[in-house]
Amino acid sequence: MRVTQGMLTNNMLRHLSDSYKRMDKTQEQLSTGKKISRPSDDPVVAMKGMSYRSSLTEVEQFKRNLSEAYSWTESADSSLDEATNVMQRIRELTVQASNGTYEESQMQAIGKEITQLKDHLASIANTKVSGKYIFNGNDTTRAPVDLATGKVSTNTNDVKLELSQGIEVAVNIKPQNVFTKDLFGDIQDLETALSSGSSINGFLDKLDSHINNIVSERADLGARYNRIELIDDRVSNQEVIANRILSDNEDADMERVITDLKMQESVQRAALSAGARIIQPSLMDFLR
Amino acid sequence: MVSTFHGLETARRGMTTQQYALQVTGQNIANANTTGYSRQRVNFTQTEPYPAPAMNRPQVPGQMGTGVQAGSIQRVREGYLDQQFRGENNKYGYWSAKSEAMEKMEDIMNEPSDNGLSKTMDRFWQSLQDLSVHPEDSGARSVVLQRGTAVAETFNYLSNSLTSIQKDIGSQLDTTVLEANSLLTQINGLNKQIGEIEPHKYLPNDLYDQRDALVDKLSQIVNISVEKVGSGGQSLDMAEGKYTIKLLDKNGTAIGTLVDGSDTSKVNEIKAVLSSDKSSLTSLTLKTGEDLAGTDMSGRLQGLKDSLKTDYPDMIKKLDNMASGFVAEFNRLHSGGYGLDSNSPSTNTGKNFFSGSTASDIKVILTNRNDVAAGSGGYSGDGGNALKLANVKNSSLPYGGETTSLQGYYEGAIGKMAVDSQEAARLADNSLVLSDSVENRRQSVSGVSIDEEMTNLIQFQHAFNAAARNITVVDEMLDKIINGMGVGGR
Repeated sequence: MRVTQGMLTNNMLRHLSDSYKRMDKTQEQLSTGKKISRPSDDPVVAMKGMSYRSSLTEVEQFKRNLSEAYSWTESADSSLDEATNVMQRIRELTVQASNGTYEESQMQAIGKEITQLKDHLASIANTKVSGKYIFNGNDTTRAPVDLATGKVSTNTNDVKLELSQGIEVAVNIKPQNVFTKDLFGDIQDLETALSSGSSINGFLDKLDSHINNIVSERADLGARYNRIELIDDRVSNQEVIANRILSDNEDADMERVITDLKMQESVQRAALSAGARIIQPSLMDFLR
Repeated sequence: MVSTFHGLETARRGMTTQQYALQVTGQNIANANTTGYSRQRVNFTQTEPYPAPAMNRPQVPGQMGTGVQAGSIQRVREGYLDQQFRGENNKYGYWSAKSEAMEKMEDIMNEPSDNGLSKTMDRFWQSLQDLSVHPEDSGARSVVLQRGTAVAETFNYLSNSLTSIQKDIGSQLDTTVLEANSLLTQINGLNKQIGEIEPHKYLPNDLYDQRDALVDKLSQIVNISVEKVGSGGQSLDMAEGKYTIKLLDKNGTAIGTLVDGSDTSKVNEIKAVLSSDKSSLTSLTLKTGEDLAGTDMSGRLQGLKDSLKTDYPDMIKKLDNMASGFVAEFNRLHSGGYGLDSNSPSTNTGKNFFSGSTASDIKVILTNRNDVAAGSGGYSGDGGNALKLANVKNSSLPYGGETTSLQGYYEGAIGKMAVDSQEAARLADNSLVLSDSVENRRQSVSGVSIDEEMTNLIQFQHAFNAAARNITVVDEMLDKIINGMGVGGR
């Protein structure tokens, strides 16, 4: 093949520009840390990237929901703990009062303490966590218990949070399970009996059954708490995996990119010096 | 009997012809860097020998050469390579136009990234999840409204940007047609000039070069075939004649004649009619009536046509399908849910969240954050409906006749765009490499090599000098005859 100067310079320019193009790509990978910058660089990576990103966002959201679930269950648990203590105190007082050794005025004093404890129990039932009543089912903006009117909520709806794809977990205690009309009614009756000096026989059984209710509800809550923890573990694992897959899929392998860059650099140098040699003196320079 | 001065004439012819060749060498060197220039060569031919065979020829032994003449000056060029180059250049025209358009589309769609539609949808979904956890929280409600607006605006932005690029492509197509027509007119003009010169036994090499360069340019826009029509008169055999340029479709079937070598009075122009905003092609025809809009051609014109008629409308349509499918389901669920009333518990307001049914007109119409229907029942702490709304993204719904999730549909659209764009870029690269390599081979034949020209220069110079020396020898001989002979004994 006949080769002319024009061909040489054209080829040289083309090769130089190709080499620059590759350097540009490497530079882009270095500065963005990503393998690809547009979908056409690698359609598969791009498509996977979209769905991995989406599932990562999903997992992040579930983590957020989980922390809310913890907040509900932990608050409920500590409230129930407090409620148990109050009930124990009421029971203690009832046991004392049923001794038969107390005078009427002392009985009335016990009755007064029980009134206080009942108010406290009501305030526990009306516990608010970040502005929400946690013991009123999904009617969270209204207090479940109003002692003045004697109204106690009977909302039976659960507060369900989605903690993992398609898995909804109820995080609340139903009002009618613990802070029932019966509970407040029985305490009220006890109070009345104490102040009027009538018999308080039979109240201990009633109190015990209420205490049992609270304890078993707490056990149920504990079980749910465990389930939430399990889901949390799984979601945390998913987060790690999603992050790793996203990174495997999209992130540039820096060692490789830098090696590529170094290699490209030497190719570029070679291309440049070859170019410098290609622009040769012609025959003309030797004809004198 | 040969004339006494015969030798002088032969040597003179040698000198003039070598001088001629030196002239052409000078022209080659001068045009070494002229694009489209093909090196030229002088075809030396011997002049008629003496005596010419005839009845009354003089009786001399043998025929004697009478010297040399410059027969013709011819371009060194191979037509077959031109044809090959134009074929590759045509493909490059198609794929580069397509690849450019697809690249712009990719830039607009901006996926995968942290600010594309996918991420915006994800954020909206997140805000709904947050709302399902805190349905009584007016802050969470405001966030849902804002993120919903962001989703609508992203749809609007994508649709509008795609449409405006589509308009750009429309005007590009318009300009490309103008360019093609201007090339046709110029080629026809050159045909005319060539047709006037060739019958006089001339080879208008510079006009040939100009014409071939124009045909090269035209080949990038449309697929063409070139046929030669003789100019008649006393045209030389090696005369190129006038070009008849036919428009070919993708398979090489002729659709119409653009430039007619045998009739230079008119050019068959391409006519493109675009809608007033240039976003769509109304008609694409030849002046003689052939319809090009429905014809599958190749070249840049077709690349632009494809982007304008298919690629961009398809993507816009897909966004529209997404928007309408998404809006319909979202509104259906939303209007069935319960908003937060000022005197909670909440109530069913039956309101729609979005309005619109295309990507360009989707809009959040809900203004009161308490109307965001988070609940599926009448209680303030009920986030059941918000959860349903959040799951619209993942639920299988009909999008443009295809039942899939919103995410899946969008990923499909982006995937197709990515593959198309990759293919276009790869084929643009490939066809550029191929056309470059043909161009190289063409240069190998037609390009000027300075070394070669210098060698020729020396060759012709020596031949010139030798012819001159021949004259000196003849001069000396004549001197002998005239001044040195017949003076015996003087």
